Amino acid sequence: MSRSPLNDYRTRIAAALEGGSRFGGLHASGGTVRTALVAPSGAIQFESAPVVDGRVTSIVDLAPAANWDEREAFDSYGVRFDGHEPLRPLVDHDLDLVSWTVPVRGPDAYQVAVGPIHAGVIESGHFRFHVVGDLILHLDARLFYKHRGLERAAEGHTLAEGLAYAGRACAACAVTNTVAYAQACEQVLALHPTAEVARARTILLELERLWNHLNDIAAVCAGVGLAAGNMRFAALTERARQLNAQLTGHRFLFGSVEVGGNRVAFDATAARAELAEIRAESESAWRELLFNASFSDRLPDIGVVSLEDAVTFGAVGPAARASGLAEDARATSNLLAYDGFTAIVPHRAAGDVQARLEQHALEVQQTFDLLASLLDAPVVAASCEPAGNGRAIGAARVESPRGATLCIVESTNGRVDRVRLRTGSYANWPVVAHAAAGCLLPDFPLINKSFELCYACADR
Amino acid sequence: MLTLLKDLRRLRRQLDLPAPDHARSLAVRHVDAGSCNGCEHELTLASGPHYDLARFGFAVVASPRHADVLLVTGTVTTRMHAPLLAAYNAMPEPRRVVAFGDCALGCGVLGLASELAGPVEDVLPVDLRVPGCPPTPAAIAAALVELVG
Repeated sequence: MSRSPLNDYRTRIAAALEGGSRFGGLHASGGTVRTALVAPSGAIQFESAPVVDGRVTSIVDLAPAANWDEREAFDSYGVRFDGHEPLRPLVDHDLDLVSWTVPVRGPDAYQVAVGPIHAGVIESGHFRFHVVGDLILHLDARLFYKHRGLERAAEGHTLAEGLAYAGRACAACAVTNTVAYAQACEQVLALHPTAEVARARTILLELERLWNHLNDIAAVCAGVGLAAGNMRFAALTERARQLNAQLTGHRFLFGSVEVGGNRVAFDATAARAELAEIRAESESAWRELLFNASFSDRLPDIGVVSLEDAVTFGAVGPAARASGLAEDARATSNLLAYDGFTAIVPHRAAGDVQARLEQHALEVQQTFDLLASLLDAPVVAASCEPAGNGRAIGAARVESPRGATLCIVESTNGRVDRVRLRTGSYANWPVVAHAAAGCLLPDFPLINKSFELCYACADR
Repeated sequence: MLTLLKDLRRLRRQLDLPAPDHARSLAVRHVDAGSCNGCEHELTLASGPHYDLARFGFAVVASPRHADVLLVTGTVTTRMHAPLLAAYNAMPEPRRVVAFGDCALGCGVLGLASELAGPVEDVLPVDLRVPGCPPTPAAIAAALVELVG
């Protein structure tokens, strides 16, 4: 007697999770729902279920990290998920408050609405805090104000043209998103990056990570209100972006990644000298922060994400590592030049604002080390080499400054049928909402800054 | 702290911006109408130590009610259309609108037509256009210094 395919889908996912795989993403595509599972080796396995009468069985009980993915699949592709109740709207905005917020009732409970326009130079997004006095009981985050429909807009274009859509999703993660897209396309096209291509891409990824780490440390200083620290790291961020412009012609490295090879070429000597200066300066700036008691007293024990919660909610990147989850897509990226890389966690992996800040300081050192060893020779243009057979679906996972980003490309006849970009920010936004609960409302800006997630690459 | 001040002095000597004129000032409200976050990152650094727009009398204010200038980044998404209009309508007159960055100007915009309301000039009267993807802090400084006249 054969089992129903739907049950098989759940059984196989449960078995993979049991075997140590982690949920990587879920998307709807042409009458099918596909779940990506990431093995400890970094290998990506897909489990698919057909959509029958507009329905598929939910896996949110097996993998709570699939919560947003299933809601998005319903809002954008009309797939209902049996067992996911209530299936609250996520991307969809044409609904009233009651439909998308979690009911919070009790004496003196009320709501504070913030955004979509924020008080500073910040991206647009809406937060609805359920509070009693200053205490946050629950946070409903409604993003997707910046939803541009980039994934759908890429459909029908050639694989090379589709790169621009992945790049436009987000400036802060532009290299990561385009490298993940390019790697996924190369699997479709039966191409393998040569050592030169892998090295060039790794350098670009680390240059992107460098300015982001410096920016994120500045952001935490701003969150505390320490102008001196904020300005010092802002100046370093500026220098890192100037270096990007000097090397590639663009401060955010736009246009530096392509499908099927690398055409960025530069001499690394000047970059090495400038990086050494930025490193020395950032170490001095960091030491100054450590000796600022009023700053460091502000950081511990707020916005706590326990290791267990980080695993449950599918946290990724520096935020997950700050909770003690030693996972980093760089350690398993065999298409990039990260040989021997191991994930690090802070000494005090408490999962609070302090741990996340310390994680940035640790990882920026890693990035300086990587760049120093990778920039030992000029970067030259190179092409990928043919390898094996093409596939209908390519999938690549690349560590962005916010965490692992998964890009899936489904293709026939060299055109994009479906592209799915599940970024580190997308994975971590539910974690921010969780971290805010139990904290004070005035602490939220600091908690949010300690994650410093992009809205743009979640909204797409 | 001393290192920071020394750095600032050195950085500013390298820049070719006119001397600050404290007689004038503009209060700026920024609205992200659907950007890729690049314009925001560059705007943030325009207020950083290299360019320090505050010394030319620019202040980013928290409320549109305090603002002279509405600085809009990104192409306007359907979801940000109403919040953008609400911010504009809350501003006192006289007011100016800056379309900031290529997306806001409608250049090379990517996305689904059904999700986009159009470039800023389809939604609001635009007084100043700052091109760039994204505009560099130096370009931002030059454009805004011109606006303050």
